[in-house]
Amino acid sequence: MASRKNCEGFSRRDCLQLGLGALLGGGLAHTLRLKSLAGESSAPKMQAKSCILIWMDGGPTHYETFDPKPNAPSELKGEFKPIATRVPGGHFSEHMTRLAGMANDLAVVRSIRHDQGNHGAGNHYMMTGAPPRIPVGCGAFVSFHPSLGSVTSAERGAPAGLPAYFSMPDMSRSGGPNFLGAKYAPFVVSDNPSSADFRVRDVALPRGLTGERFLERCDQRAEVDKFQRFLDKQVADPAMALDEHYVQANELMRSKEAQAAFDIAREPERLRETYGRNAFGQRALLARRLVEAGVPFITLYDGGWDHHTKLFETLKKRLPTWDQTVAALIGDLKQRGLLETTLVIALGEFGRTPQINKDAGRDHWANAMSVLFAGGGTPGGQIVGATDTKGYAAVERVLSPENFASTVYTKLGIDPGKILYNQQSRPAHIVSDPTPIKELMG
Amino acid sequence: MFRILLACSILPAPVLADVVVAPATIILRGKEARQRLLVTETIAGKNIDRSREAVYSSDAPKIAVVNADGLVTPIGDGVATITASVNGQIARVPVKVIDGAIAKPVTFERDIEPLIARHGCNAGACHGKARGQNGFALSILGFDHDFDFAAIVTEGKGRRLFPSAPENSLLLKKASGQIPHGGGRKLPAGEPGYETFKRWIIAGTPRTPADSPKLERISVSPGERLLTFKEEQQLLVSAHYADGTIEDVTHLATYQSNESVYASVDANGKVKAGPLPGEAAIMARYMEKFAVVNMMIPMPGEVPAETYTKLPRHNFIDGFVWDKLKQLNLTPSAMAGDATFHRRAFLDVIGRLPTPEETRAFLADRSADKRAKLIERLLERPEYADWWASKWADLLRPNPYHAGIKAVFNLDAWLRECFRRNKPYDHFVRELLTAQGSTFRDGPTVFFRNRRQPDELTTMVSQLFLGVRLDCARCHHHPFEIWSQDDFYSLAAFFGRIGHKGQGISAPISGGEEIIFSQPTGTVQHPVTGKVLPPRPLLGEVMDIPPERDPRRAFADWATSPENPYFAKVIVNRVWADFMGRGIVDPVDDLRATNPPSNGPLLDALAADFRKNGHDLKKLIRTIAASYVYGLSTLPNERNVGDSRNYSRHYRQRLRAEVLLDAISDATGVPEKFDAMPSGTRAMQVWTVRSPSLFLDSFGRPDPNQDPPCERTSDSSVVQALHLMNAPNLQRKISADEGRIAKLAASDKPVPQLVEELYLLAYCRLPVSNEQTAAAKRFEKTGTTKRKAAEDLIWALMNTPEFVFND
Repeated sequence: MASRKNCEGFSRRDCLQLGLGALLGGGLAHTLRLKSLAGESSAPKMQAKSCILIWMDGGPTHYETFDPKPNAPSELKGEFKPIATRVPGGHFSEHMTRLAGMANDLAVVRSIRHDQGNHGAGNHYMMTGAPPRIPVGCGAFVSFHPSLGSVTSAERGAPAGLPAYFSMPDMSRSGGPNFLGAKYAPFVVSDNPSSADFRVRDVALPRGLTGERFLERCDQRAEVDKFQRFLDKQVADPAMALDEHYVQANELMRSKEAQAAFDIAREPERLRETYGRNAFGQRALLARRLVEAGVPFITLYDGGWDHHTKLFETLKKRLPTWDQTVAALIGDLKQRGLLETTLVIALGEFGRTPQINKDAGRDHWANAMSVLFAGGGTPGGQIVGATDTKGYAAVERVLSPENFASTVYTKLGIDPGKILYNQQSRPAHIVSDPTPIKELMG
Repeated sequence: MFRILLACSILPAPVLADVVVAPATIILRGKEARQRLLVTETIAGKNIDRSREAVYSSDAPKIAVVNADGLVTPIGDGVATITASVNGQIARVPVKVIDGAIAKPVTFERDIEPLIARHGCNAGACHGKARGQNGFALSILGFDHDFDFAAIVTEGKGRRLFPSAPENSLLLKKASGQIPHGGGRKLPAGEPGYETFKRWIIAGTPRTPADSPKLERISVSPGERLLTFKEEQQLLVSAHYADGTIEDVTHLATYQSNESVYASVDANGKVKAGPLPGEAAIMARYMEKFAVVNMMIPMPGEVPAETYTKLPRHNFIDGFVWDKLKQLNLTPSAMAGDATFHRRAFLDVIGRLPTPEETRAFLADRSADKRAKLIERLLERPEYADWWASKWADLLRPNPYHAGIKAVFNLDAWLRECFRRNKPYDHFVRELLTAQGSTFRDGPTVFFRNRRQPDELTTMVSQLFLGVRLDCARCHHHPFEIWSQDDFYSLAAFFGRIGHKGQGISAPISGGEEIIFSQPTGTVQHPVTGKVLPPRPLLGEVMDIPPERDPRRAFADWATSPENPYFAKVIVNRVWADFMGRGIVDPVDDLRATNPPSNGPLLDALAADFRKNGHDLKKLIRTIAASYVYGLSTLPNERNVGDSRNYSRHYRQRLRAEVLLDAISDATGVPEKFDAMPSGTRAMQVWTVRSPSLFLDSFGRPDPNQDPPCERTSDSSVVQALHLMNAPNLQRKISADEGRIAKLAASDKPVPQLVEELYLLAYCRLPVSNEQTAAAKRFEKTGTTKRKAAEDLIWALMNTPEFVFND
């Protein structure tokens, strides 16, 4: 406890960021942490220790990202030109310059399709690998099945003192744990790491409170808590969920690893610039720090890809910075030797219509979408599958969201065919079709 | 293990058993006719589906045959008798075959559309979506036959069908998976559906004659059924035509359960009960018709009837709840204690915690009717208005960045005034829906500044005040309801003559004043046909509204009339859900046949009582709070542990964001400060969710950045735990020099009294003796001070679920 003085001796900002981490080390965190499940015999060999999922909310256009169609009729092909990559036939859209330059490290799947053409349903299908059970609407925030991140959290467990599943700055609609329970909900960091006074809110102690006193308070909290819990799962006692959250909160506060991972100011200025000095760029950098700390699943929620109007005008500005950040992330991971064990994926709910609408936009189109893969043992320099010449439908290597989810799980060392049990002890396969995309498996 | 299960499933020799086959008589017309049989055995009053175990035979196999599944098909004309035998008992059903050797003509509406629907081709996810799939668009679920016929037969220059070689038709090749089809193999070649389609193409794709009998309804048998855990029940779906003919469409219907945990249903209409007591509504749909049957799965075991007759009945509510519990074999929890009830009533009626003085007085009160008197006192409290207005603000109050600050402030003030005066609910709704005047002076007009188009008003008004979610019908026929686009835009026509004068929306300030008025002209058109639709209420007749009359008045008359089947039900259900933790209909604003109430008679009775009482919300609250059921403990017993819908116990609710923040401010005696509000303002009184507050955001107040605003969330989260423990603002409240904790510590109160006060502040109950002892020890610790110990205790109390939840 001698190091307690450290906290008081630090600057205000450091103190806020550090919380109790410096005080306690990892001991308690270790005892509290979720144990990673002892390896199931059927668990596949782990290729990726971590996964960074870049969620392009709204449904990114495949035409203007990774599946340009220069020979499509003029009412379809749009304003952007394709650029060649070093992969034969692997043209990207002209604003993907940096990613095009590193195509040897990337695999683009152009032939994932499904039949859920609205945001609520599309988000659910891609975030969970399961179609929504009943029809849902565009505005829906629905969950019928645990998300990729939550399953990973449950199956892989958390690193010392850190949550296993982060989502920044929001939880995606269907990114929750569903029947796995609140314990596997994402830890949402809504604060903006691009701002100078970034800190992960409330993880640090308030000013004037010593760590010792905080621990005594926690002790007293346990002592006064006589509220009866209804242990039977059928009761679904909300007090039990709150308990889970206090356990996780305490673990997080006491983790040195967590505090260090959050301290993005330790990054060199040059690197911060390379990622892009904006919220998305700095979140990507924070994601890399979390990967280094051993976090298995991080969702970067990137909104605003629902381009029903002014698609070209908007994307002209948007794509170059997006390209910069994603390329910086992949490049940085590679340079640190982390790319081999870190899977980076970028996708949204669906692709967008080849037909350009009257508002110079493209509408929802689930019949074809492009998904970007890099790292985590993914053989680079390949394009998997194809859409037809007009980009309407996946025609070669037609793949499903189930194949997509199974790929992610298999890489993370999780058997997608495993059966999970919900609160009523009803079985559910993690993914109904546990076939990964073989081209990506190396 | 497996063997044991099998052994268990063998039933003892039947006592007073009886076997019945449905339908009772069968008429098969034409070669393709078919009828599935449902065999039910009744043992000691309990019906059991024996359709799968029964052994079937026909006495005239040249007339009609029956297969092992109980499917009867015709061979030749005449009469036959089908026998089903179960456990040595026999039931017979006569069959008459007419034109048994003659293949009936296959026609589009009657034969092809059902096939398309059955295989999901016209589902919203496939060809049924607005722009179709791969250029092939069908009307959603087959509501528009002309459109579908054109799409299949004539569109694309007829390339989908190939009459001279029907097997080579693109449509059949795709549907049968002979060439790649995104939707998969739907109609394998050679199967009956494929053959029907082929025959239709060969016959020259005839339409069903316009004068042929219309499908009037479908029925599902059996009706309501009691199932034991894991029991199965086959459903039988019959289509009834205007000429009296009945067809078995079990194989063509689609099925869905609203609660598949309790009872699921497969694609062939076989229902299977789950391992829990409860209820499920199973919907069967055939073409545009649907029917719902309820499956009830009672708790196993017997509960003596007098258990229910002996239960207290404070008012009609209790009787309806006990009836339902009796059906499900559930028993209610015990009564909640006085302190729990007191805290619960404060939170539910006025949205705040009682003070220590109030709790002491209530606990000391020995009168028998003290709970009823408490409710009376609370209903007269000034906090009542802010609390109930804030609930309506969630539903009605716009984002000020859109509608303008002054306008939103004005609407907010009107809402609070309505609840201060306990304005009858029908008057409240009428005032809102017929509002005229300035958005700067007449609060409810802001509703029409924010929602400007007839269609968006229709969606909102129908959901809020009628509990009818019409939004689907904006673009297509509602997929699991009776509502068409005609219904939607006819309702929208009531909002077709709203005039706006002045400065409209100019986000992000939108500061201008607008005048909302009724103008003599203005129409609403059907978006597809372009037809101008006159105002017509749901399930009603077209209204002729003269130019000088505001159509919204006619709408309000209809909506608030005693005959309206929705109006009272929606509001009583909302208020009930607020008090009981879950609506009788859930979600609270989704009343439809396919989402039935968990207790229909109770909902009806609450609505009738509410109308009888002049739509008086306080009287409604009094009735609910006076029921014995409202006072039940949350502690489950062994016979209601799985119940979350039937009110056999109280359901815990997390305090809402504003309530929790006010509770913390009250307990610590340090008020919260809100932007542009006078000091001393409570969170409940803040006029917009735009007012910055990390606390309120963390605890799930609606997100104003969404339009429509995101719904409030009641879950807990890690962020909430961290915030309650570490937020600098909360730490400040606990430790402020001017706060209650500092003052209490500085007073000459001895420690036990101080501890008692803190327990009363947070938990609203007295500490028990070992709690006193434990707390006292903390005060005696070396190095601490009375003030520090008091701060630590209140922090600990506020960070436990007993504080955070309404128990």
